[in-house]
Amino acid sequence: MSGALLLGAARRPLSLTARLALVFAAFAASLLLVVGLVLGKAVEDHFDELDDHDLSAKLAMIGHLLGQVDSEAAREALPRRLDDALVGHDTVSVELLDAAGQVFYSARAEGFAAQPHQHGADTGWRSADHRLIGREAVFTMPLPQPQAVTARVGLDISHHLHFLEAVRLRLWFGISVAALCAGALGWLAARKGLAPLGRVTATARGLSAQRLGERLSERDAPAEVLALVEAFNGMLDRIEAAFRRLSEFSADLAHELRTPISNLMTETQVALSRSRGADDYREVLASNLEEFERIARMVGDMLFLAQAENGLLPRPAETVELADEARALADFYEALAEEQGVAIAVAGAGRVTGDRLMLRRALSNLLSNALRHAERGSTVEIGIAEAGGRVALAVRNAGDTIPPELLPRLFERFHRGGAARERHGEGAGLGLAITRSIVQAHGGEVEVESAAGLSTFRLLLPAVGNSAAGRPPNPVISPDEAPP
Amino acid sequence: MAANRPLPGKRDESVKILIVEDEPKTGDYLKQGLSEAGFVVDLLRDGIDGRHAALSESWDLLILDVMLPGASGWDILRAVRAAGRDLPVLFLTARDQVEDRVKGLELGADDYLVKPFAFAELLARVRTLLRRGKVQATDVLRAADLELDLMRRRAVRGGRRVELTAKEFALLELFMRRQGEVLPRSLIASQVWDMNFDSDTNVVEVAVRRLRVKIDDGFEPKLIRTLRGMGYVFEAPEGV
Repeated sequence: MSGALLLGAARRPLSLTARLALVFAAFAASLLLVVGLVLGKAVEDHFDELDDHDLSAKLAMIGHLLGQVDSEAAREALPRRLDDALVGHDTVSVELLDAAGQVFYSARAEGFAAQPHQHGADTGWRSADHRLIGREAVFTMPLPQPQAVTARVGLDISHHLHFLEAVRLRLWFGISVAALCAGALGWLAARKGLAPLGRVTATARGLSAQRLGERLSERDAPAEVLALVEAFNGMLDRIEAAFRRLSEFSADLAHELRTPISNLMTETQVALSRSRGADDYREVLASNLEEFERIARMVGDMLFLAQAENGLLPRPAETVELADEARALADFYEALAEEQGVAIAVAGAGRVTGDRLMLRRALSNLLSNALRHAERGSTVEIGIAEAGGRVALAVRNAGDTIPPELLPRLFERFHRGGAARERHGEGAGLGLAITRSIVQAHGGEVEVESAAGLSTFRLLLPAVGNSAAGRPPNPVISPDEAPP
Repeated sequence: MAANRPLPGKRDESVKILIVEDEPKTGDYLKQGLSEAGFVVDLLRDGIDGRHAALSESWDLLILDVMLPGASGWDILRAVRAAGRDLPVLFLTARDQVEDRVKGLELGADDYLVKPFAFAELLARVRTLLRRGKVQATDVLRAADLELDLMRRRAVRGGRRVELTAKEFALLELFMRRQGEVLPRSLIASQVWDMNFDSDTNVVEVAVRRLRVKIDDGFEPKLIRTLRGMGYVFEAPEGV
């Protein structure tokens, strides 16, 4: 259990703040490290050069002194003169060997013996706890007879090394402190920079069904967070709209169901209140049946809409000639239209990919709606045209102009075109919503316009071969929002 | 008249229907309704018993609920088809899901009804299924003094020619082929106009009203009757 918890904790990515702090620290440390290494090398080189110079100078001096030995007296005086010359140079060791390899002069030369020597080359060795570098050269001493003298000079450089060590120590310390500071600064900067995210979180936490109206201020959001804030606010807008529509919708649904149910109850109660003849009971049952049918149809339509919104409608499969469907429907509605003194005309042609039954249903709802509102003596025109990869099917009827403020809501559920357009006994105002659902499932859209006594409902569907553009993503939050 | 009975050559009384439905009320009213319509009905309430009965006895039609305890309606259908039985199967489902429909049809279901459905609709579909493959090749349909000549596309009532549109003719043919049956509006819309969805049923009312004007007005007896909330019945009174 705790193992799983630990594992979970280990898998969780580091916070942005921690990441930024770490990156800052690592960056500062590596930068300073490079600078420190370069500086250290420069100092070291400088010391090497100094030492080299020192050694050369000492050898030159010894060579000079050896060259001056031109008398026995001078030969006797040589050690003393060398001692004099080396006074104050207590980091310098000297050893002089005659041609037979015998040491005849030495000063602080404890470390020389064991070392290998090379002419001209610097040699480094350690003697006791001192570090020495040395060089040797061969000179000619004129007396007692001209002979070769090997001079070895050593230089104790341990104080340089101590110094370099101290410098390095300070550099390391400095780099560590600087890296820590950079990390801390990074942490602060990240925290400060990410504070707007915290505000988004706080707002999101504070949201509830009653407080959907809250929005983040876009003005004081930094550019990087602005997109998030805008997206967040946009999401809130859509949620709020969808939520409002849903609440209205449940209210409408309850209202729509209440009417037939209350009819049923009243009618049944009255029927039962006293004894009646069989015909009366039959009459009540038949009347109840009508109400039940109304409820059943509404439930069926609601179910259909719910399926459409959840993307459960069948995928468009066959090629459908809209003109054929329009004519079949015109045929179906002919008798009804004639009774109302309205003619139906179909013109044009266009093929779409889709489900024939559903498209027919969508069109049927439009036609039924148009007939309901058509003026006596007018013609309901169905026009089909293909253009720009889309098929437009327009159903136009002459009648009252629909007020512009009602147009956007016509395709919503339970909409019935305002109080003036009272219902004609059937259709709970779901027909146009169903039409829109079907059209959207086919990757199309619906439009409506109304002016000068002519109302036009238009379906725009991808033409055959163009349906790949088709089906929009299934709406998740707001089915009532047409895809942009 | 006998030639025009719903089931030529076989009387309803000898038609055996098995219903497997676990919802108590639905099962009871289906059994009552179908019995009163003249069928011999057996009702079982779970999938295991249903499958056993479906396989061990001889039936003319199965009515199966999809969701059943023990074994689903599909299981029963599968077992029946696996046993090589070709009898018609009608499914009842509360789920109006496309996958259900597709699955059922793949397994060999003959028809589907989504709850809630009208009993008249069920009855009409049951009769359609039972009649399948048994339609008589008739040239002329008769009821009382009405004659419908299918070859010459002519209708004559009481010796007078009645002019009908193509759809009115199709509607009258449907009525005359299914005399005595309650035909719900949705079934009429589906059979005559191929409108297989809950469409504006006013249309059917208007069409039937117009047909009535042509074949019933001024004639006795009236052949088309409206059953409120149910649909229409085309019937010639006995003995005419």
